[in-house]
Amino acid sequence: MSSSVIYEAFWVGLKEALKAGLVWIVLFSFLQVIDRKKLSGFFLYGILLALICPLYVFTLPVTPQLKELISRSIDTSFALFFILSAFLLAHGSGMNLLGAIERAFGKTVIAAPVLLLLSALYFAPDFAGNSVFLMELAEVKESPAAVYISATAGIVFGLAAFYAARKKIRVDFIGSFFGLPQLFLFIAMIKLLGGGIKGFSGISLIPSVQTGFMKFFHDFVHQVFVILMVPDHPLLKTTAWNFIGILFGPNFSSVAALAALLAIPMLFLSHSFLGPVPEPEAETPADRRKIKGLFMSDRKRKAVSVLLFVIFIVVAWFSESGENISKLYIPKPRPVVEDKGTVMIPLKDPTMDVRDGALYKFSLSYRGEEMRILVIKKDDGKLSVCLDACEICPPRGYGQKQGFVVCIYCNTPIPVATLGQPGGCNPIPLHVLIDDNFIRIDVSEILQKWDYVKSGKGKESVK
Amino acid sequence: MAFIKLDSASKIYETAQALRGVDLEVEQGQWLNIVGPSGSGKSTLLNVIGGLDSLSSGNVVIDGAEITGLSEDAMAVFRRERIGFVFQQAHLIPYLNAVENVMLSQYFHSMSDEDEAIEALKRVGLGHRLTHRPSQLSGGEQQRVCIARALINSPKLLLADEPTGNLDRENTRIILELLKKLHQEEHFTIILVTHDPFVSQWGQRIITMEDGKIKCDEFICYL
Ligand SMILES: Nc1ncnc2c1ncn2[C@@H]1O[C@H](COP(=O)(O)OP(=O)(O)OP(=O)(O)O)[C@@H](O)[C@H]1O
Ligand SMILES: [Mg+2]
Repeated sequence: MSSSVIYEAFWVGLKEALKAGLVWIVLFSFLQVIDRKKLSGFFLYGILLALICPLYVFTLPVTPQLKELISRSIDTSFALFFILSAFLLAHGSGMNLLGAIERAFGKTVIAAPVLLLLSALYFAPDFAGNSVFLMELAEVKESPAAVYISATAGIVFGLAAFYAARKKIRVDFIGSFFGLPQLFLFIAMIKLLGGGIKGFSGISLIPSVQTGFMKFFHDFVHQVFVILMVPDHPLLKTTAWNFIGILFGPNFSSVAALAALLAIPMLFLSHSFLGPVPEPEAETPADRRKIKGLFMSDRKRKAVSVLLFVIFIVVAWFSESGENISKLYIPKPRPVVEDKGTVMIPLKDPTMDVRDGALYKFSLSYRGEEMRILVIKKDDGKLSVCLDACEICPPRGYGQKQGFVVCIYCNTPIPVATLGQPGGCNPIPLHVLIDDNFIRIDVSEILQKWDYVKSGKGKESVK
Repeated sequence: MAFIKLDSASKIYETAQALRGVDLEVEQGQWLNIVGPSGSGKSTLLNVIGGLDSLSSGNVVIDGAEITGLSEDAMAVFRRERIGFVFQQAHLIPYLNAVENVMLSQYFHSMSDEDEAIEALKRVGLGHRLTHRPSQLSGGEQQRVCIARALINSPKLLLADEPTGNLDRENTRIILELLKKLHQEEHFTIILVTHDPFVSQWGQRIITMEDGKIKCDEFICYL
């Protein structure tokens, strides 16, 4: 256990160093080829700026909100680079979205601070996240210093590897594969591969894009049904929800996520391989061919990193969707008891913490009846407490998958953020009191709502 | 400055000295024939100018570039962009047809362009033999494919080593007429090695090699 902590700390350091080194090489090669080598310094200043984050993390208290913020900014920073690259790729696919902006970046006064800022934005969230992770590692280890020393060793080792290899690196060759969009896409990909906080496991892009889609479709359909139609419209029957569920279910949204991620890179690829080649002016046909040939080979070279990205996303998508099918997390209900008309659920005990983001279920036996309650922390930090059942399905309960709870009966995923909203296959919310240690629920509240589920009144009302 | 300039160029093989301090200047657009007895160093001289062979001492400047100092990669680029070669043997790819053989040369230069290749074959009078393979072409026709191939990338210099060595008089005349027409149209420089006095009369200048040296250098009337 303790040696694996040391190993993980080393790995975190090494990974960050390798990531920074790779980005540095690619960026430096790119700048060299476009003859803007002087700008590369600002990238390093950006890294220095990003180091404020670990300083902050190590000196000031780390609250759960801060952790939440960090993990969200890791995603956001990836999204920023991906969206920028997509935008630039679209530009490079013949859309010519830029122009004035392009000219502005020709000026160092503008390009340098932008580079500094982007570099800081690129590294800051990961630095912060990894610092938090190291602190957590240090907590479980008797000698915290060993953890930090090990992480530092990882960083030094990684940087030394690049320093040793620096003479072997063919800057012109590497640079010839990159234009600005490819550069952004590539470093976004590095972030994705070395992303998250731990190791390579944090390939988090597809689920988060997918989550975005699912939320959108779910909210959209929900709004349409609840506001534009009467709530007890016959379409709200389980079978109908089953059908509509496809729209915001994992399958549809993951295809939509894949399409959203790949649309612009694919457009760029088809432009690179099939797009028209301008007929150059030249003295002889051979010269004309030569100019055209150079143009085409440059265009193909610049498609390589985009092609890599596409392959990578497709592979990740397939492995991800394989996992999706198998990974519905269904926790075992923990028994709770009633005392003087109130059920008290502890927020934390040595075996659990209901605020850790996982789904928790509790079961109450009352007068021969088994009733289940689910508790999960929402993104905003508040706890959502509902019955483990909805108004329309038989009460088979819910499982958890990423940012959703999924109805075991009808398979409809419900975004955790919208938990307890009325209508459809949404768990029925309970009125509760939450203090520092307990969730308190009136037994009568549970009884009344569970009766409602059991009696099928919900279902009758929509008939 | 001369288009081609050799300064005391020497080539020593283990068994023989092929070139013994050759000095030579060739103007841009000149048609120069090299004659001389077998073993006198004609092919060696041509190969040295074409960068196919290196010198033991001395140096060669072509079109302002000192090719003796070029790396192998740079020499390859230099050759494919500025020099066309025709040899006594056609060296065509047997399983490609005439157009494809020409296109291959385009491909190694930059990228292939079928229309341009067809046009080039028409100019050497092979418009009716486009899709024939080398084995389906006569010796003279094969050599014309070679000329089309050698000139397809608009070289400034055409090097020809006994291009008519395998041909009868009639075909030799066709080839020479063709070269003359193309030379007049495109003004490239020609250096042609031959032992045939009939062939050496086609051109503007004849140098006679003997024992690795230039023995005689005369300007003639372009037929
Ligand atoms: N690769 C080689 N290795 C050794 N000796 C060579 C080599 N190439 C040519 N020689 C020698 O250099 C001399 C010149 O040869 P070269 O081929 O230049 O003669 P040539 O004038 O072209 O003769 P021919 O009219 O027979 O083609 C000859 O003595 C030949 O034996
Ligand atoms: Mg010879």
